[in-house]
Amino acid sequence: MSMETDRITEAFYEKPKRIVTWSGIPVKEIYTPKDIEGIDYTNDIADAGNYPFTRGIHPNMYRGRLWTKRAEWGYGSAEDSNLLFKTLLKEGATGITIYRDLPSGLGIDSDHPLARGEVGECGPPLCSLEDMEAVTEDLPLDKLSVTIACASSPSLVILAQYLATAERRGISQSNLRGTLTNDAIVGHFCYSPVVNPVNLAVKVSTDIIEYCVKNMPLWNPLYVSSFYNLREAGALTAPQELAFGLGVALTYIEGVLDRGLKIDDFAPKASVYAQAGIDIFEEAAKLRALRKMWAKIMRERFDAKDPRSYRLRIAIQTTGSQLVPQQPQNNIIRIAYQQLAAVLGGVQSLTSSTYDEAISVPTKEAQVSALRSQQILAYETSVPLVVDPLAGSYYIEWLTNEIENEATKILEEIDAMGGMAKAIESGWVERQIVEASFKYQRETESGERILVGQNRFVSPPEEDVLPGGVVRVLPEVEERQITKVKELKQKRDHQRVKKAIGDLRVRAEAGENLLPPIIECVKAYATIGEIMGTVRESLGYSYDPFGERKSGF
Amino acid sequence: MANKERIKVIITKLGLDGHDRGPKVVARILREAGMEVIYLGLQQTPEGIVKAALQEDVDVIGISCLTGEHLSLVPLMPRLLKENHRDDIPIIVGGVIPRQDTADLKRVGVSEVFTPGSTSQQIVSCVKQLAQEKKGSGL
Repeated sequence: MSMETDRITEAFYEKPKRIVTWSGIPVKEIYTPKDIEGIDYTNDIADAGNYPFTRGIHPNMYRGRLWTKRAEWGYGSAEDSNLLFKTLLKEGATGITIYRDLPSGLGIDSDHPLARGEVGECGPPLCSLEDMEAVTEDLPLDKLSVTIACASSPSLVILAQYLATAERRGISQSNLRGTLTNDAIVGHFCYSPVVNPVNLAVKVSTDIIEYCVKNMPLWNPLYVSSFYNLREAGALTAPQELAFGLGVALTYIEGVLDRGLKIDDFAPKASVYAQAGIDIFEEAAKLRALRKMWAKIMRERFDAKDPRSYRLRIAIQTTGSQLVPQQPQNNIIRIAYQQLAAVLGGVQSLTSSTYDEAISVPTKEAQVSALRSQQILAYETSVPLVVDPLAGSYYIEWLTNEIENEATKILEEIDAMGGMAKAIESGWVERQIVEASFKYQRETESGERILVGQNRFVSPPEEDVLPGGVVRVLPEVEERQITKVKELKQKRDHQRVKKAIGDLRVRAEAGENLLPPIIECVKAYATIGEIMGTVRESLGYSYDPFGERKSGF
Repeated sequence: MANKERIKVIITKLGLDGHDRGPKVVARILREAGMEVIYLGLQQTPEGIVKAALQEDVDVIGISCLTGEHLSLVPLMPRLLKENHRDDIPIIVGGVIPRQDTADLKRVGVSEVFTPGSTSQQIVSCVKQLAQEKKGSGL
C-alpha cells in the first residue's frame, strides 16, 4: 500500500526531465527581452509580406486565403485512386496528391521480376499513359491543384504522362496548376541509390525545372522535398533539416543557372516540402527561420532582383515517423499538434500523415480524419485569423534565431565540402543520417524521450484498437495490372514506339533536355521502364538498375 | 561465452521500398553487441537474400518491411530455405507490421516479429538465442 502512495506522490510532483527541444536544443525556463537584444524587428523579423519574410510571405496571410488542405492516397489500382480522389474532393479537399506505386517510383514496369508483390503498393501503378489517364479520369485538370509525388528520377516520365493526358483532353500546358516533387537527389536516400545516382538525379531535376519554366507558367518547377525526406530518413534535427534541404535546393539552382536561366526566371515559383513535427514552438520557429534564410540566400548569394524570388512557399507533410503504433488513436492528437505547428509557421499547404501510418498504408477513415483535423483547425480554433501570432514572443524569436544560426553553420560546412552532391558522394550525409537515427533509438529506449503508449503509459497490446482496420492491397490488383501491361506491349504501334525511343536516345546522348522526347515516347505508349532504361543507357548507366532486363530497342 | 564463434547475421530490406532507417539502426545495434552483420541493403529479393545467406553461412536472417512485403514476399523465404535444406536458419522480421499479422508470419516459419518500440536488448537477446539454438541443432 505504501509503495502505491509513494508512486502517486511521485507522479503528483513530477516535472519534465528532458529539458531540450525535440532537436536537442537546450532551453531555459524563461525567456526575457534580454534574449532577443540583438534582434532588430525591421531587418530580422518585419511585417509579413516584407523582406526577410520571417512572419510569412503574404501581408494578410490566412485572412487572404487559407492554406491548401491536401489529402494523399496511396494504394491500389489506377481506378481505385481515381475513385478516392473524387471522394476526397467531395469531402472538401482543395488539392490532390498523386502518388506512384513502388515499381513506378523506381522506373521499372509492373511486369518486371522485382515488381512482384509491389504493384499498387503506396500508390497506383503509373507504368504507361493508360494508367495516368485512368488515375485522372473526369478530374478537371485545368482547375485542380495537383501534386505529383515522386522524388526519384522516373518523375520525368510521370510528369510527361500527366502532360500527355492533359494534351489529349485539349488542355494547354500553360493552364496546368500544380507541382511535381522535383527532387531526385532525395531519391538517392529514400528510393534507391542505383535508380538515383547523384549525377543522373541532378540532370533529371534540372531538365524538369528548365522545361517547366519555359512552358508552364502556372506550374511550380522547383519543389524540394529533401527537407521532409532527409529528416525522416534519419531523425535529423530541425537545423539539419534546413541545412540539408537548402543544400539540395542550391544544387538544383546552380544547375539551372548553368543552363543560362536567370534566378528570377524560376525562384518566384520555388517551393519546398518540409516537416511539421510535434514540438510546436520549435517547428514554428524553424519554418520562420527557413523563410528568412531563403530570402537572404536569394538576395545575397544569387543577387535576385524580383521581390517574389525572396518569398519561399512552404508545403508541409506532418511528420509520419513521430506517429506511434501503440494506442494508434492517440496519433489523431499528435497529428493535430503537428498541423497546429505548421499553421503557426505560416505554411501554404498542408498534407497530413494519418493515425494508422505506423501500422499500415492509410485507410479512407484515417484520411478523412486527417482532413477533418485540418478543417477544425481552420474553422473552429480562430488560429488562422491573426498573422504569425507567435511573433514577438521572446522564446520564439530567440529560437528562430538559434535555428537559423545553427542551420547556417551546417550549410557552410556543406559548402566547404563543395556542395550537397559532393557531401553525398563522400558519404558524409549518410553518416549524419545513421548517427542521428541511432541517437534517437537510444533516447527512446532509455526513456529519455517519452513516447506515450510506447515507452510510458503502456497498455496491453490487445487493448490497442485501430479504428478503420488495416488496408490490404488485393493480389488481383497486381495480376490485372500485369496483364494490362503485357497486353499494351502487344497491341501498341511498335514502329511508333521504336521511333520515339530511338529519338530519345539520340537527344539524350546529345545532352538535350529529356522531357520533349519523353513526352513523345509516352504518347507512343512506351512504358516507364523502357523510357528510363533508354535514358540511363544514353547517359552511361545500366539499362535496368536491378540488372534483370535488357533494352528491347 | 559458451560458443566463441561470432554470430553472423544478414540484415536487409525485402522488396522495393527505400526507407532503411530501421534496418540500419538494427545493424548497428547488433554490431555493437559483437555480432558480424552483413548489411545487404535495399531492393533485395527473397531469392537473393537466401543465396547470400547460404554463401555467407549466416546464423540469422533479419528482414525489414514497411509496405506490406511481410505478407507478399516474406512467406516465400522459409519455403526457399527449405528447398535448399537450410531451414535451420531462423528469420526475424521488423518494421510496420500490423499486430494481427504476427501469428500468420510465425505460422509460415518466421521466428520473431519486432515492431516500433522494440528495444535493442530484446532484439539482441532474441538473435543470440536463435543463433544458439541453430548452432545447437547443427551439432
